[in-house]
Amino acid sequence: MHLRLWLALPFSALMLLAWPAASYASVGVGVQAGPVRLAGSAHPGGQYALPPVYVVNTGTQPEAVAIAIERISPGTGKTVPPSWIEVSSAPVRLTHEQSARIPLSLTIPVHAAPGRYFSDVVAKGTAPLPAGGANLGVAAATDLEFTVVPGAVATGSAGVPGWLLPYVTAVIVAAAAAVVIRRTGIRVRIEHGPVRARAGGRRDDAG
Amino acid sequence: MPASWRSVPAAMLLAAVTACGVVAGPQQAAGRSGSISVSLQTVPIVRSVTISPSHASFVDCRGGDGGVNTRSAGDKLGFPNGTCQVSTAIVITNSGIASDIDISGSDAVPADGMTGWTLCNSGGSPAVACTGRHDRPGPDQYEVVNFGTFGSLHRGITDRPRCDRILGPEGSCWATQGMVVIEGLRLIGPEWSSDVSTNWTVTITWTPVPGPEH
Repeated sequence: MHLRLWLALPFSALMLLAWPAASYASVGVGVQAGPVRLAGSAHPGGQYALPPVYVVNTGTQPEAVAIAIERISPGTGKTVPPSWIEVSSAPVRLTHEQSARIPLSLTIPVHAAPGRYFSDVVAKGTAPLPAGGANLGVAAATDLEFTVVPGAVATGSAGVPGWLLPYVTAVIVAAAAAVVIRRTGIRVRIEHGPVRARAGGRRDDAG
Repeated sequence: MPASWRSVPAAMLLAAVTACGVVAGPQQAAGRSGSISVSLQTVPIVRSVTISPSHASFVDCRGGDGGVNTRSAGDKLGFPNGTCQVSTAIVITNSGIASDIDISGSDAVPADGMTGWTLCNSGGSPAVACTGRHDRPGPDQYEVVNFGTFGSLHRGITDRPRCDRILGPEGSCWATQGMVVIEGLRLIGPEWSSDVSTNWTVTITWTPVPGPEH
């Protein structure tokens, strides 16, 4: 009985302390549990739109949610440099249970090392808090994953880089023209020599 | 037979044909595909945490040196290495799916925005070692220790999110959905402060993160 009392007393004290806290306004932030993952592989020098990340205010107070790229959860792969990820919007202001999808884009530097990359997308509550004392903050993290493979950026059609497209088109057109000329039987002779005036030339040539 | 009576069989025939059409309507002609729409609901898949209250004061300050008039008093931290506790219990609720809950702290920011205090840790393998005597915070350093039902985080909170090992039993920070944990905070102040501000703000943040097996 004495043992039970000893256990009950500290717990009761903690509960009494918690009672007023439970009735206070709360702060809360949520993020999608599924990882933010690039569909397909990325190439050095490429720019890609990542799936927008879902964030929600789970507290009773209004919250401003900002996105940061940090490596905090366990996982394998190279750490994603935060400078590679651009967040398309300023902190989003959300009321109680309001949610938003925040667009992200990924830019891979030209000299990026190939391999698997891993970090976290962290949604942070950034609403201004009173100065002095202890501010109690919230954040929530979800994984960020993508793979960089060597090779040129497939920005054009059929995996051809954009800058190479005019040249490739010219070669294809020339090859098609050669095939057509060959099938129609037209013979094209290219001669090298001095240009002579034709007999029926223009009148001003004769004079 | 009246004309109206003669029309009855015709009306019955028309009704029968119409009825057949109604029955046959949903059936698909041979060789054509059919489809059906069925709604499905899923459980929420959001990782989130809720903290109450969002702000607390430091009270019950102790320690310091009375000989030079820097002893702690009430809600005022003294030097060197005075200690204070937050005024209320902090209620942490895992409002999302089961996750590890990390905890982290910020530098202490003075009201004048000048030289802050850096978080430090005591014990072995600290993220930032406390440089004061007896493993206590040195000049412009401070330490925050959180405590709860399952003990206290003796080495102190770091500026990087780390597993909040007093959240669950046996040093676990794994929290299932709806789990509510009550914690307190104790602050150990610096040996001395470069900044003369008397009003300081610290921020402690809880972050749910994917667990090791998820």
